[in-house]
Amino acid sequence: MIKATHVCHSLGRKPVLDDLNFSVAENDFVLIFGPNGAGKSTLLKLLSGILATRGGTVFINGKNILHYSKKELATQIAYLPQFDEFNLPLLVRDVLLSGRYPYGSFFRKYSGRDHEIFAKTVERFALQEYVERNIQTLSGGERKKVLLASAFIQDVPLILLDEPLNFLDPASTLQVIKMLREMHSQGKTVLLVSHLMQHFFPEANKMLALKNGKLKYYGAREFSAQLFHDIYQVSVQHVFAGDREIIYLDE
Amino acid sequence: MFLPATGKSFTWMNKKIWSLGIFVFILLLIVPFWGIIPIDWQTILGHNPNSFVFWQLRVPRTILGFVAGAILALAGLVCQNLFKNNLATPDLLGISSGAAAGAVLALKFNLFVTFLGLGGMVLFSYLGALSSVLLVLLISRMVRNMSLYTFLMCGVALNFFYSALIVFFQYLFDFSNTFSLLRWLMGGISVVGYHESIFLGVLLLVFLLAIFIFKKEFLLVSAGDHFAQSRGLQVAHFRIYSFLGLAFIVGAVVSVCGPIGFIALIVPHISRLWGRSNYGETVVFSMLLGGGFLVLADFLARALIPPVDVPVGIITSLFGAPFFLVLIISQLKKTE
Repeated sequence: MIKATHVCHSLGRKPVLDDLNFSVAENDFVLIFGPNGAGKSTLLKLLSGILATRGGTVFINGKNILHYSKKELATQIAYLPQFDEFNLPLLVRDVLLSGRYPYGSFFRKYSGRDHEIFAKTVERFALQEYVERNIQTLSGGERKKVLLASAFIQDVPLILLDEPLNFLDPASTLQVIKMLREMHSQGKTVLLVSHLMQHFFPEANKMLALKNGKLKYYGAREFSAQLFHDIYQVSVQHVFAGDREIIYLDE
Repeated sequence: MFLPATGKSFTWMNKKIWSLGIFVFILLLIVPFWGIIPIDWQTILGHNPNSFVFWQLRVPRTILGFVAGAILALAGLVCQNLFKNNLATPDLLGISSGAAAGAVLALKFNLFVTFLGLGGMVLFSYLGALSSVLLVLLISRMVRNMSLYTFLMCGVALNFFYSALIVFFQYLFDFSNTFSLLRWLMGGISVVGYHESIFLGVLLLVFLLAIFIFKKEFLLVSAGDHFAQSRGLQVAHFRIYSFLGLAFIVGAVVSVCGPIGFIALIVPHISRLWGRSNYGETVVFSMLLGGGFLVLADFLARALIPPVDVPVGIITSLFGAPFFLVLIISQLKKTE
């Protein structure tokens, strides 16, 4: 699905990412973690084509990401930024429908099929009460749900998320995790940046650790107190609750 | 245009649009009859001086007022979407000051060329308006940074430059044309005949068409660059083409009417409050409100201290600014 070879990036003169190599298979759930400023968000932007790499290449389905047109890429990848920028009033309906934008042509309105997918998704994620509301009036958790649903409407195999649980209360946290789990079980490939490992560790099947722009670990998800200590300088423990592996901070 | 919307709220909205529409329509019908010479509706069909005043001065002036106001309001709306900021106006790109500089040049150097029935001053201020946006885009391209921030900085710099240029020329040359220039800078919509109304009317139709054709794109841009990009929109390109289009349309209005302040800022703001975040409704509101507001302002300009014809640009800012403040303060109170 995704292959990164010798990916480098810098902001001005400051190197942000240094020679990353890894590949993500279909239906992987990759948890990307690392301390603040490790380059996680930059990596996600490179993989989604928002930023162009300063060195190395990102391949999506075997094709160089730079050779995709913007619209073509948007039929492969949905990217959810950490912060949304809704400065102006916008109906939730329009936000959701924008997920169908890459499938439309220049002059065409959204088709019957677009509206059908829209209606199905609204029902599936129980968003009926929000559809006619201004997105600015929604709470952080409601917004995140709407944005996730719009990624679902975009109907792409790859979903990249940057800190999807920021500022969410426990109920919204669970709802967002459930939505993600559902998308993953439908065959989507998920790459997710988050510090909240206690939430996403059990969901992921792979993990990618970054520190100072360097790849510290990439591979199958497994608990390693040593790795977590190297990355975050904290000690982490794990327990099994039924078949769920739960990790927590050990003081 | 719209999805089947949810029942009640939609009809209520329509009612609001209809009532504003009817109000503006009645306003347009009444305003031409009012003036220093009161005109009876029976006299307008005959051959007499009054019917000339009615058909060649007042009706064109009213139509021009509506069309220019509508264009300015819609331009403000589009600009705010493009800048993702509800305080943005086309003036940020230096359109008005560029147009004013062009008008100064035409006046001071007596450049009387006509093209498609438009006089030298109109033509040159149009070129001035276009030059602003082209310069902004050119400079941004030169520094290889087509971000909003660059556009804004270039626009600010150009605004200062052109303003200085205007004062410089006025100071340097004789004062013969100073009054007509000053009058132009205050904005006005008094015209003779229909050339200007037709010119701007066609532009308004084209503009409306573009606004609805590119609905999806404008909505995406207003939601943020990353959001729009991840949906497959070439944000930078779309913005550049939109700014060029805006320069063509707003430049035309400024070149005919002079710089008329506040409509582009205040009308979209109110329309957003009334339009319930619905794109189509906000657009229709902006058009009706912008047009109606300028016609009403021009009516006030003529009615306030007769027989003086106060420049309409003064009226829009004089009444617009306090109204805007009241609106903002009441909004802030609500969110407290």
